[in-house]
Amino acid sequence: MSAELKRALRIGVGGPVGCGKSSLIAALCGELSGELRLGVVTNDIYTTEDAEFLRSTGVLASDRIVAVQTGCCPHTAIRDDITVNLDACEELERHQGPLDLVLVESGGDNLTAVFSPALADVQIFVIDVAGGDDIPRKGGPGIARADLLVINKTDLAPYVGSDVKRMLYDAAQRRGALPVHALSLVSAPHAGPVADWIREQLRAYVAAGGHLHSSASGAPGHHHGHAHTH
Amino acid sequence: MTAAGAVASLLLADSRFPAGTYAHSLGLEQAVSEGLDIDSVAPFMSARLRLVAQPDAALSVAARRAAVSGADGDAILAELDDEHGARCPSPVLRDSARRLGSQLLRSAATAWPCGTIDRYRSDSRSTPRPVALGVVGAVAGLSDLEVAMVALYDDAATVACAALKLLGLDPARTTRWLADLAPRIGAMAVEVADDMRPVAQQPPPAAVAIELAASRHADRSERFFVS
Repeated sequence: MSAELKRALRIGVGGPVGCGKSSLIAALCGELSGELRLGVVTNDIYTTEDAEFLRSTGVLASDRIVAVQTGCCPHTAIRDDITVNLDACEELERHQGPLDLVLVESGGDNLTAVFSPALADVQIFVIDVAGGDDIPRKGGPGIARADLLVINKTDLAPYVGSDVKRMLYDAAQRRGALPVHALSLVSAPHAGPVADWIREQLRAYVAAGGHLHSSASGAPGHHHGHAHTH
Repeated sequence: MTAAGAVASLLLADSRFPAGTYAHSLGLEQAVSEGLDIDSVAPFMSARLRLVAQPDAALSVAARRAAVSGADGDAILAELDDEHGARCPSPVLRDSARRLGSQLLRSAATAWPCGTIDRYRSDSRSTPRPVALGVVGAVAGLSDLEVAMVALYDDAATVACAALKLLGLDPARTTRWLADLAPRIGAMAVEVADDMRPVAQQPPPAAVAIELAASRHADRSERFFVS
């Protein structure tokens, strides 16, 4: 990777509690750590379970994983007052860097939580089929504007009465041309499609000299996935 | 004191100012886990004001006085950093002050772009929040009194805000605690702003119980707050 970039690409991973953010990040680290210098910042709610889980998988050296406390305000920490996370990202790069990619995992939150573009260059919003197949229809900024929407745990759909096709259809209605991946870490333990999307983002980030335009930045309802340029 | 400085002090005291204080309970989380009950929160705030916030506010005022003179004050700011280190024996609390100062300076550097904040950000190794607040106060146009008010009020308000999350309370009640403390905070701020002695000749923080509890808090694996 080119040396003149100011800092690593930062990708936010958000979504409700229990949707599988930590497992997805573990899978991505396993898939990408051979080719990229990776760091992870977790925003744990109360325990350091997310960070510990990730350390226990052994996919990353434990000092590449940093946990920050968010004082019961997981939402604030990724959107309204991101200073705690910005300091954590920069410290991680200063001590472990240079890095190519930092994944910032939000503390599980509700459907209205999105990352500030000053913290995450692009963001992935994760939901799962067990949370109810009406979630894409309910919308919210994460569903509508995240750069990538992941509908996780599709292997559970038959057991919880969720219609994945309908979820994909509703998501497309909300998102225009922005990408959606239906994912099961049981059948795709390396999260291949998401890893490929990340590789693509990183190529674009490097090609633009350390810039990336997020669809989550700017006025709601203005999709950037379709064919026009700014 | 100017009207513009007063407005800037509101901005700095507003919990919406992005300086990361929402992630701190300033010792309340550990105190609650060790048995502090609802009726003891207001006395806890009051004790912090006297033992921690007032000496910290004195540092902020000294830093403001140094920073208003621009580059000439840089050496004094470095001394105040050391003074903070000397007055804060707990490594956990020193680290916490460094983080809070760094976060405050990060947002302030965008809010009030100027050489004074940039120089302090790059020169200071410890960026303790009390000194950082004085630097930012100078740049934002606050008077000594306003810097002292913000320093004192912010300490009490941070604890009150954490109490809501830790104890299950009517938010109007924690606001009442702050309202009750307002005259005391005002009087203390005047006292701090009028004290022209060098910080080294003023009383240091003296909250040994809070310092010891901070270490126990940092060792916990389960907690909501950084401090």
